[in-house]
Amino acid sequence: MTRECSLLLPRVCAALADPRQPSSDDTCLEKLLDWFRGLTKCDPTVNLVQDNPCLTEFIASVLALPEPSPSILSFTLRLAGILAASENCFQHLQQEKLLVRLFGRDGPLNSALWEDASVRSGWVEGVHSMMHHQPALHFLCSGGGIDVIFTLQGDPSLFVASAASQLLVHVLTLSVESETTKPPSAKDCDWPACAQMIIKRIEDSLQSGSASHIEQSLKLLTHLFGSCHATWTEVLWLGIAKQVESFLMEETVQAQPMLANLLLNMAWSPVFCDTEGSFWALVTSALEHLTPVQVGPLAAGVLRLYKCPQDVRIQALTVLLQPMDCILRAASQPLEYAGLLDESVSDPATVESLLSSKSSCASLLCQTLAHLEKLLSLIHLPVDLPYTSLLRSLMTILQFCNGCLSPASPLGSTISRILIDCFRVQRSALDVLAALSERKCCDTLVGSLFDVLLAYLESPNSSPTVLKKTFQATSKWLVHLQELSCSNSQWQQTEKILKDVFLVLQKRLCSPCWEVRDSSLEFLTVLIKCLRDQEEFRQSLLSSEVPRLAENLLEDPESYVRASAVTAVGHLAFITYFAPESPVLGNQYNKENTVAKLQEILSTDPEGFPRRAVISVFNKWLRQGCTGQLEDTEQFVSRVIQTVEHDLDWEVRLGGLKLVEVFCSQTICQLGLSQCPYAPVTSAVTSSVHHNESLQILCRAKVFSFLFRSLCDCDKPVGQRACDILLGLRSGFYPINAPQHSQGTADSPAGHGMAWLQRTLRQGSLAQNFPTDGGNGVDFQDPESMMLALGTIDLEELHDELNKSSDHVEKSPQSLLQDILATVGTVEENEADCY
Amino acid sequence: FPEMSYLSFFCLGPGAGQDVGRSCILVSIAGKNVMLDCGMHMGYNDDRRFPDFSYITQNGRLTDFLDCVIISHFHLDHCGALPYFSEMVGYDGPIYMTHPTKAICPILLEDYRKITVDKKGETNFFTSQMIKDCMKKVVAVHLHQTVQVDEELEIKAYYAGHVLGAAMFQIKVGCESVVYTGDYNMTPDRHLGAAWIDKCRPDLLITESTYATTIRDSKRCRERDFLKKVHETVERGGKVLIPVFALGRAQELCILLETFWERMNLKAPIYFSTGLTEKANHYYKLFITWTNQKIRKTFVQRNMFEFKHIKAFDRAFADNPGPMVVFATPGMLHAGQSLQIFRKWAGNEKNMVIMPGYCVQGTVGHKILSGQRKLEMEGRQILEVKMQVEYMSFSAHADAKGIMQLIRQAEPRNVLLVHGEAKKMEFLKQKIEQEFHVSCYMPANGETTTIFTNPSIPVDISLGLLKRETAIGLLPDAKKPKLMHGTLMMKDNSFRLVSPEQALKELGLAEHQLRFTCRVHIQDPRKEHETVLRVYNHLKGVLKDYSVQHLPDGSITVESILIQATAHSEDQGTKVLLVSWTYQDEELGSYLTSLLKKGLPQGTA
Repeated sequence: MTRECSLLLPRVCAALADPRQPSSDDTCLEKLLDWFRGLTKCDPTVNLVQDNPCLTEFIASVLALPEPSPSILSFTLRLAGILAASENCFQHLQQEKLLVRLFGRDGPLNSALWEDASVRSGWVEGVHSMMHHQPALHFLCSGGGIDVIFTLQGDPSLFVASAASQLLVHVLTLSVESETTKPPSAKDCDWPACAQMIIKRIEDSLQSGSASHIEQSLKLLTHLFGSCHATWTEVLWLGIAKQVESFLMEETVQAQPMLANLLLNMAWSPVFCDTEGSFWALVTSALEHLTPVQVGPLAAGVLRLYKCPQDVRIQALTVLLQPMDCILRAASQPLEYAGLLDESVSDPATVESLLSSKSSCASLLCQTLAHLEKLLSLIHLPVDLPYTSLLRSLMTILQFCNGCLSPASPLGSTISRILIDCFRVQRSALDVLAALSERKCCDTLVGSLFDVLLAYLESPNSSPTVLKKTFQATSKWLVHLQELSCSNSQWQQTEKILKDVFLVLQKRLCSPCWEVRDSSLEFLTVLIKCLRDQEEFRQSLLSSEVPRLAENLLEDPESYVRASAVTAVGHLAFITYFAPESPVLGNQYNKENTVAKLQEILSTDPEGFPRRAVISVFNKWLRQGCTGQLEDTEQFVSRVIQTVEHDLDWEVRLGGLKLVEVFCSQTICQLGLSQCPYAPVTSAVTSSVHHNESLQILCRAKVFSFLFRSLCDCDKPVGQRACDILLGLRSGFYPINAPQHSQGTADSPAGHGMAWLQRTLRQGSLAQNFPTDGGNGVDFQDPESMMLALGTIDLEELHDELNKSSDHVEKSPQSLLQDILATVGTVEENEADCY
Repeated sequence: FPEMSYLSFFCLGPGAGQDVGRSCILVSIAGKNVMLDCGMHMGYNDDRRFPDFSYITQNGRLTDFLDCVIISHFHLDHCGALPYFSEMVGYDGPIYMTHPTKAICPILLEDYRKITVDKKGETNFFTSQMIKDCMKKVVAVHLHQTVQVDEELEIKAYYAGHVLGAAMFQIKVGCESVVYTGDYNMTPDRHLGAAWIDKCRPDLLITESTYATTIRDSKRCRERDFLKKVHETVERGGKVLIPVFALGRAQELCILLETFWERMNLKAPIYFSTGLTEKANHYYKLFITWTNQKIRKTFVQRNMFEFKHIKAFDRAFADNPGPMVVFATPGMLHAGQSLQIFRKWAGNEKNMVIMPGYCVQGTVGHKILSGQRKLEMEGRQILEVKMQVEYMSFSAHADAKGIMQLIRQAEPRNVLLVHGEAKKMEFLKQKIEQEFHVSCYMPANGETTTIFTNPSIPVDISLGLLKRETAIGLLPDAKKPKLMHGTLMMKDNSFRLVSPEQALKELGLAEHQLRFTCRVHIQDPRKEHETVLRVYNHLKGVLKDYSVQHLPDGSITVESILIQATAHSEDQGTKVLLVSWTYQDEELGSYLTSLLKKGLPQGTA
């Protein structure tokens, strides 16, 4: 703690304990606790209580108040807990008898204030923070604290109940790990006193027959096995395993939903997953007895495990895939069905009845699909899923949903009636479909898959969200299709599909709904990014109306759409004007026109998104060396930075700086000064001629004026970036030794101007504006002056300063204490007013 | 009883009356789960700024658990966590808000993102793309339009005043309903009208109670005060800085100044520094129907949002001599242009800064509002603040009177107060319970309140049954309830009362007849058939209006009741009468048995 803070603290404590003062902003109290937490964490030996007697006085005076406000009392409880985390402070507070008055029977626990949830929450948090040493443990156990915490597990406030459960786990772990010399074993269950107390309570409530007590204990065990992977947890488990197992069959206690979570956490614990037999038998039994909805998370979790017996894995797979299997069966004739699952291991009756009920069908499918999506998103999956059948099942679901398939079988017709127009299922199924594109599926299905996707893209019933997801799935499968057609030369099929896709895209680009136009443009951009090297893709795209429509959308009334159109058009340019083997395009793709349009958006669009999109497109072009020869580029960059330097959006200005950064390094390395990551051409020529030449280019392009002005930008990220670029330039132009800062200022060629520049920057670059014209002598286009500026300004120091104070929200504890003090004596509360 | 549970969570307690908490409420109604608002807390820059969504459900995905999310209005404490919730936590279901909210929400989110990511090391915050993706999932609704979320769940928006596009929402499943007010205002202000709802008699009204006990001085007074201060400053040649966020308060104050400037014929320039002003004004024009009558009326002659006196600001203007008024972003004076102008002007006592909104601890705005006059900037320079600092609240919430008025309008069966200070809410709660005789709740943050409802469930009755039942007895009388008998069928989510025969037919069931039997012992030494005859004669004499028959097989029937006699196996002098009857003749059956139990009268031949 700094001296300033320790001087301020007594007054802050006095103010907080004064009931006549208006209570402080909640956030101030929270931040104060954060500060104390940080102090004890970074030096556990520090005795905050002894060094700052005002803290003890504060606690004592809050306790002495006849009616403290719940928020101050809660704060005091939490503060005391944080302080008592160190054993020294704990002893000190004990001697003063403060801890008993805060956390013991005579404290708030038995007062009317306990009714307030924030006080109970403060109590639990306080105890939790304190539990770091044995004296605290003894204090808690001997004072009946464990009983209080067990009661709080059933607290009406969710926050308190959950915190109590976590506290019990913490206390149990601390007790076992700090109070035993040898780890407990199955034969010798010599638990330390505190742990024994907790374990006994757990066992009792598991046997109590009370649904709420059982639920609380199962939650506690779930937390415990999830967070603690010590071997003693197995010993604990052996004592309660039988009881827990019995809940699987007992419907009266309704513990089943909790069991899946408990078993899942156990399966992830190395303590249990390595065991032979009994644990896995329990998992198998759970997979058999719990309902498909309850057991879904367990099945999906088991499938992600590498260490898991094969039969359990198969069982889990069966559970998870059963609804998908059922869908396939419902849709096909009995004889043609080549199912997902071996019927001998699965009993489809339950799943069938769930799927044929309106209330459960969609939720079971959505849950299954969500689990599948998660599994498919894993790069390494411990099991092989039957991808082809899955794909078929997904297609069936999607066809049920849009009414394209109504099978004759009773089950099939029931399910298809339930699923028709069900957006929830559509969304989930499309997500899985997209994820499945990365897996090896049977290729013969691809044709019919695109039929399904195109039906969705064309359907007027598809909601914007469904359309967006269809676009995502379509783009992924198109990439897959392209790879396929490369390997098996099925060009015709690909061509046909692409043609259909662009036809429907044309329609969607004209949708009255901006969400749809935007998703269509995003889809187009993704396609170009992935497939721009494919000849047939380029052909199909350019022979469609899509490029023209995309350009039209540059004038869309919705700014999001304009921004997406800018991005799409920017990418389109790679296959129109910038392509080396650019096809004959006629007049419709006029490069100058497009650039001019984008420039216009950059300088006149009233909204940030389109302007940001333009600057990012320009960056992309420049990086890929698309902007032409150097002179061309110079003009281009110069024009762009003159446009963006007055932009109101700092992200646009930052984009301009990024452009300058690329331009500078390209210029420098094209002329052979140093290595450049973006250089389109590398040259080995090194000479001072080039040195001057590149400096001149940068000056002509007005790069320096932009950079120096940006140093004084009112938004910090801009200043930081500008400083970084200037540092980079300096190392480019002064490659070996940076010049000394003492090098002439007053008598240098730029004379007064340079001195002024330095002074301005030194006085606090961010406080003042840079001059708007060269009235006082700085000529940003003069290479010599700029060379000198680079050499003389202490950019490192500036860099450090800009980084040191990265925002204007003062986070120092000193400022916090000052702010709390400043509100003291404010009679009138400022009324709430949000934006 | 059907149960409607309400879970209030994460509505942070308003410390010192500063209610900037994260509004986020979960309502479970007839098996449907709806999340109301998804706000953020601007006072934190870590996890605490968003609600902890893991409390919503411990089992399963949020998308599966929640049926929809409803956003009441565009303030960040009501919508600020939405992109985080939908794009980072992974909620993928439907989101509803009004059209203006959908249009304006992303501007505020974007504005806040920009000043947040400006800070170094800012992680776990949503990006521009995420805001867009989130807004694309939003379904916009019209006022008074009944939106069917799914087959059972429907929602409807009502005008709430407060800010442009703010709405109260009615959520209805079957005959159970909840109304959530969000923030609302029962008195019209300069550009918005008053909140209104019809007499929808919801089971529960969830109302904000920010100004639970305050009867606020009229907004007009505060506006006059504001204009006076600005005017005085400008008159003495000073400059006025008003830090604002892009949208909301800024537009309101612009209208105020514009009208005043026009009336007083003032010449000092007014500037608006944010680049978003055009878009903001565009939306106010677009959603003119959401503003109040006065604005709508004058719209034909002059659009209130086309300002004559307010011009775009260029940063070079800040150095111009002479008076001026500048609206600059951001509103807490912690970055960007507003801070830059503040630094230039702070040293002159002629100038003034007016803070119209909440400032987070640590910002320059918070410091000057708490009275600090020497500010350390970036840890080295001391900035002395000589300019005047004023705080002015223009927020439009319902006060105690307004809340009571709304309850009177909607006639809820239960009221639940959120967004307020416990002590003040307690007072209001008592008042509501006394005046309206309804239960009023005020759960703490994170607490669940469960309310039992007593819904009346509509039942269709088949025409055949209705005819048959009305044919029995008197003509129907509207004033007297009539008891009807039939079979209640629950099928395809509807209830129907039909005749038993029709039910059997529709359900394809076979009929089983249930008969009640009873044995009655009679002392009679005669032969069995003689006993039967005596019983027959006795019954015939007593039950004159019923058809009593003596069947050839020796048994007796009275309507559906069957009586047979046998001799007792051990005692020939005792005869056992076996009486059996159907459910329909329950009354007659029990009468008969009690009659027989009394024995047969002497002399019955």
